[in-house]
Amino acid sequence: MTTLDQLRDVRRSRRVRATAVTLSLTGLALGLFVVTLLVGSFRLSLGEVFGSVTHLVDDPAVDFIVRDLRLPVAVSALCVGAALGASGTIFQQLLRNPLASPDFVGVSAGASVAAVAGIVLWGTTSLVTCFLALGGAIVGSLLMYVLAWRDGISGYRFILIGIGVAATFEGITGYLLTRATVFDAREAIHWLTGTVGRADDAQQYALAASLVVLLPLAVLLQRQLRLLELGDDTARGLGGRTELAKVGLISLAVLLIALATAVAGPIAFVALVAGPLAQRLLGPAAGGILPAALVGAALLLGADLVATQLLPVALPTGVVTGALGAPYLVWLLATANREGQGG
Amino acid sequence: MTKLAAQGLTLGYDDRVVVDRLDVEILEGKVTTVVGANACGKSTLLRGLARLLRPRSGVVLLDDRPLDDLSTLEVARVLGVLPQTPVAPDGITVGDLVGRGRHPHQGWFRRWTEEDEAAVADALDATGSQDLVGRPLRELSGGQRQRVWVAMALAQQTEVLLLDEPTTYLDLNHQVELLRLLRDLNARSGKTIVVVLHELNLAARFSDHMIAMSDGRIVAQGAPGDVVTAELVEEVFGLRSMVVPDPVAGTPLVVPL
Ligand SMILES: Nc1ncnc2c1ncn2[C@@H]1O[C@H](COP(=O)(O)OP(=O)(O)OP(=O)(O)O)[C@@H](O)[C@H]1O
Ligand SMILES: [Mg+2]
Repeated sequence: MTTLDQLRDVRRSRRVRATAVTLSLTGLALGLFVVTLLVGSFRLSLGEVFGSVTHLVDDPAVDFIVRDLRLPVAVSALCVGAALGASGTIFQQLLRNPLASPDFVGVSAGASVAAVAGIVLWGTTSLVTCFLALGGAIVGSLLMYVLAWRDGISGYRFILIGIGVAATFEGITGYLLTRATVFDAREAIHWLTGTVGRADDAQQYALAASLVVLLPLAVLLQRQLRLLELGDDTARGLGGRTELAKVGLISLAVLLIALATAVAGPIAFVALVAGPLAQRLLGPAAGGILPAALVGAALLLGADLVATQLLPVALPTGVVTGALGAPYLVWLLATANREGQGG
Repeated sequence: MTKLAAQGLTLGYDDRVVVDRLDVEILEGKVTTVVGANACGKSTLLRGLARLLRPRSGVVLLDDRPLDDLSTLEVARVLGVLPQTPVAPDGITVGDLVGRGRHPHQGWFRRWTEEDEAAVADALDATGSQDLVGRPLRELSGGQRQRVWVAMALAQQTEVLLLDEPTTYLDLNHQVELLRLLRDLNARSGKTIVVVLHELNLAARFSDHMIAMSDGRIVAQGAPGDVVTAELVEEVFGLRSMVVPDPVAGTPLVVPL
């Protein structure tokens, strides 16, 4: 077999695998989306749900359950999950470290401080809290940029500074909570756990519309990301606009996580897990922002189903993702150390 | 053919100047080696020539046009560079990595073409890496890895190729093979090749032109026979030696005293 044939074979099988994975993940996410609409304390048939969602049949009782209760949760889980997955994998690939998830490095913590301050100090409405969280996430990432980014980025330095920034924010959040009335504190803690069932229509449309713009942009920038993975020198040698690409990718990732957090609160671990899971399915170094987004969506839809349907008491989604994600993190730290990689 | 030159080039990091107002002309269609002690600024010069490092002052000229007038893609289509310590994402396979060398020839939306595939296959064949196509880079020996990186630079198919110590990790046979490959590429397609090398004898044997650097300056340049002398070796490397003609090629051979 000539080298050319070998190359063709490898490339063909990779392309087939990527297509198969992307299609299956799309199927899985859509399937879970539909299940979310179907199940609940009140069982509906596929026909009833379909009729209501598409506005083909109007039945006030069904419409209330589908359009007002379940559809918002399903849409929100889908969008928030996709945003978290895409954002996480961009961070991880850019910093060449599986630990470099935006929920570790101060971005989510920034959102939390701002949101809790709003709830506790000014008794803000949910929409204002949402904007505060958005602003907090962006301020948190700017702070990270100033502290850790200046002379290029090295994985562990960035993560350590990120953990420090996050810890500072969390300290402030804790302080704010101690100053709060019981009622406010309860609401703040509810916000801090993160749940997909909270967003109102306007917030969801905003998130969905942003995704429609941001995800294709991310997929377009994937080419640059694949260069940046080779280090700045090689990337520039191959014609990459490294500074521009980095700023673009990071802004995109920050915006995605900020929007997701603003809508659903800080949902733990989805951003951390989605990218590596997608990578497992696609094969190493395959990139795959879209598959990671799909994994994130599927994970969050699944977690929400577990949280609201399977458990004896309905819990916020963030509790379930936290419970699933924490063991993964421990495993990641243990194996990364053993193999001495990750820096 | 493509001409590469620098005028008054000053390069540095933070507040340190490493290369100060250096003039250099890279001979078109020749193999040039850059030699010098550790930390004398060889990599810095190479990075400056490839615009990986912005000059403090001075210009790099590519075909008499300042590099600043060209887009990164335009530069990448005629000038390829292999950094001293390249990095790769975890788990990447050889075929994938070498394929990334094709980036400057692809547009935002252009798909992978037969031409790209052929370029990658040629690069793999030329470096003797054809059997590694599906292997993860991480599982290769240092020497195999080095050849894969060279293959990536070759897949870029540029007229000028700047290689920073491409022979590190290679055993003697593979060092010679790699340098023969570069000579061969130069002979076949007239590529202009600049290589940073530590092995003086190999440098003298395989290059048309040598540049000896010390402390950020060029202290000697010219044909290997003129550059490699006992005085120069002492000045640049602080090593006392005797220089005799290589019994095979007649090029200078440095024998430490
Ligand atoms: N990224 C950097 N930041 C700061 N200083 C640097 C950087 N890279 C190189 N230097 C400094 O510039 C000087 C020249 O380094 P350079 O890498 O050009 O040397 P070199 O001749 O290639 O050495 P070697 O043979 O060891 O590769 C050294 O003193 C080094 O410390
Ligand atoms: Mg060097």
